[in-house]
Amino acid sequence: MTVGRTLPAAGPLVALRDITKVYQMGRVTVPALQGVSLEIAPGQFVAIMGPSGSGKSTLMNLIGCLDRPSSGTYLLDGQDVSRLDDDELADIRNRRIGFVFQTFNLLSRYTALRNVEMPMIYATVPRAERRRRALRALEQVGLAARVQHTPQELSGGEQQRVAIARALVNEPAILLADEPTGNLDSRSGEEILAVVQDLNARGITIAVVTHDRDVAQHARRILQLRDGRLVRDEPVPQPLVARPALA
Amino acid sequence: MDILESLSVALEALRAHKLRSFLTMLGVIIGVAAVIALVSVGQTARSSVVGEFASLGPDLLWVLPGKAKEDSPFPTEEARLTLTYEDARAIEREAVFAVEVTPMLQTSVEVTGSGRKTTTTVIGTTPNLLVVRDMALQAGRFLQESDMSRRRRIVVLGPSLAQRLYRVPRNAVGRKLTINGRAFDVVGILQPEGGILGVDLDDRAYLPLTTAQQLFNINYASFLFVKAKDVESVSRAERETERILLRKHGEEDFTVLTQSQLLVSLSAILGILTIALSSIAAISLVVGGIGIMNIMLVSVTERTREIGIRKAIGARRLDILTQFLIEAVGISLVGGILGMGAGLAISWGISLRLFHSVPTIAATLPVVVLAFSFSALVGVIFGVYPAWRAANLHPIEALRYE
Ligand SMILES: Nc1ncnc2c1ncn2[C@@H]1O[C@H](COP(=O)(O)OP(=O)(O)O)[C@@H](O)[C@H]1O
Ligand SMILES: [Mg+2]
Repeated sequence: MTVGRTLPAAGPLVALRDITKVYQMGRVTVPALQGVSLEIAPGQFVAIMGPSGSGKSTLMNLIGCLDRPSSGTYLLDGQDVSRLDDDELADIRNRRIGFVFQTFNLLSRYTALRNVEMPMIYATVPRAERRRRALRALEQVGLAARVQHTPQELSGGEQQRVAIARALVNEPAILLADEPTGNLDSRSGEEILAVVQDLNARGITIAVVTHDRDVAQHARRILQLRDGRLVRDEPVPQPLVARPALA
Repeated sequence: MDILESLSVALEALRAHKLRSFLTMLGVIIGVAAVIALVSVGQTARSSVVGEFASLGPDLLWVLPGKAKEDSPFPTEEARLTLTYEDARAIEREAVFAVEVTPMLQTSVEVTGSGRKTTTTVIGTTPNLLVVRDMALQAGRFLQESDMSRRRRIVVLGPSLAQRLYRVPRNAVGRKLTINGRAFDVVGILQPEGGILGVDLDDRAYLPLTTAQQLFNINYASFLFVKAKDVESVSRAERETERILLRKHGEEDFTVLTQSQLLVSLSAILGILTIALSSIAAISLVVGGIGIMNIMLVSVTERTREIGIRKAIGARRLDILTQFLIEAVGISLVGGILGMGAGLAISWGISLRLFHSVPTIAATLPVVVLAFSFSALVGVIFGVYPAWRAANLHPIEALRYE
């Protein structure tokens, strides 16, 4: 027995309890989430599915600490983050969360390298280490040869891989992706899924929002949302395996 | 985020819109240049005018027609001509401390000499002007008492007028000068005196007062010079002069000014003028600030998505705030530096032309420091609101912005 220090319980990485989110549109209130409870264990790969407007993005934004729930609690790695202020949430996003968007959301003026360095700038990582880690992250997503290219000089799939490198560079607890293949052709989408599966195989927890059944079949668990409620939660017995890029 | 990083981000943003940044800067450049130019020209004007008047001699008094109002040392009512040659003689006769009195009848007319025409200041006066004003001749003679009584048509020229008409001043003696169609003999040329308030004191023609009064058909003098016995008796001379004139006129329709009163009020007037002008200039700096605010609001709106991205990956409110604030202060500081250069160049140019001197470093340094810090302040004040707006954008809404 270790004395004086208790080991953290190997609990869930994400634990949502009775989460609701209500948007106020003038005098109309829009209930986007109505009592969602779920847990995601470390190392999981979940896909969140559901029809348009069912609350997938809202749920993702809450898990990603981009927003606060209207009620309910959210424990991220055991820490209650549902009542933190804006700057505390910014720190959580910076250090614990990696975000990948449907529209890539890279800064067009900057090179791939500079884009990947950005989260570390806000984490005040020294310049030299910043560079080293950004280069390694770009290498991990297979873009070692493209570090000095700006987004306009990259294909959609390459841009999304830069975004993934940016999401990973601060070694987050969880990688969140909202429709990461939505703007890509099927071949590039497959490449992105291969990268994501590879990361999951290395132990990174992943949550992907998609409305595409094929994409969801690459995960190990599928959550189904309808009208802001969780209506189904099932494992994927035989996940599909994406083929990595040829080059 | 470290300050170097913020600086490079701000610089990149400014470089991405070169023309826009420059035009915005122009507001600050003009404002700072105007403040610096006006204040330092004002200071040069003040010191050089004060110096010029001081050089006229500390024992000199002025008697001006018209009564001064309470708050001003100068006559403010419609200046009636009330002073005469007779007044000057009376003061000289009766006063103990006011030893010399010189009436001055001053007007600007066209004269012709050696076939050349020019406009100059013609002054009718008495022989004692030479003593009162401490002037000296370089050739010929000055006015004499006999010229006064005989109303002789003779004239004494300042060197620059003589030079303009006759080319070599000394050779002008014995030549003719035509004033109002009458021919005058040039009998003397004065030594150079210099200028005052940018007016060339050597561009003058002096006639006997009696001749001038007949020529222009006026019985009065524009003003009187009074010379006190010595520097210590200036205020006694002032009181004497007032008493004698009051008795002669029966009312106080004149104003006596000592040199020190004149200097104090001149200096005050120039100071107020400088402050008024530079306040107007400072307003243009505020207008420049509004330009910065405007362009920063545009910039924040254009970059809403960028702000959303930065926030999503962990930028705190302070990070966003400093990024945009540095951009605003960058515009105003660079504008301030350029404006400072322009302002100094302008003030040197003007001061050299008008006062034949340049502003001293000691005089300009405070203005420069002030204008520079003011321009930085303008950037902060007008940059804070746009930066605050940027910092408080909601990350999701910012990301959704098209
Ligand atoms: N900022 C918002 N303001 C008002 N209503 C919103 C906002 N964001 C989402 N909603 C509403 O909440 C519901 C869920 O939206 P969202 O989470 O984007 O769904 P999904 O991603 O599954 O398509 C929808 O009805 C949507 O219109
Ligand atoms: Mg969505």
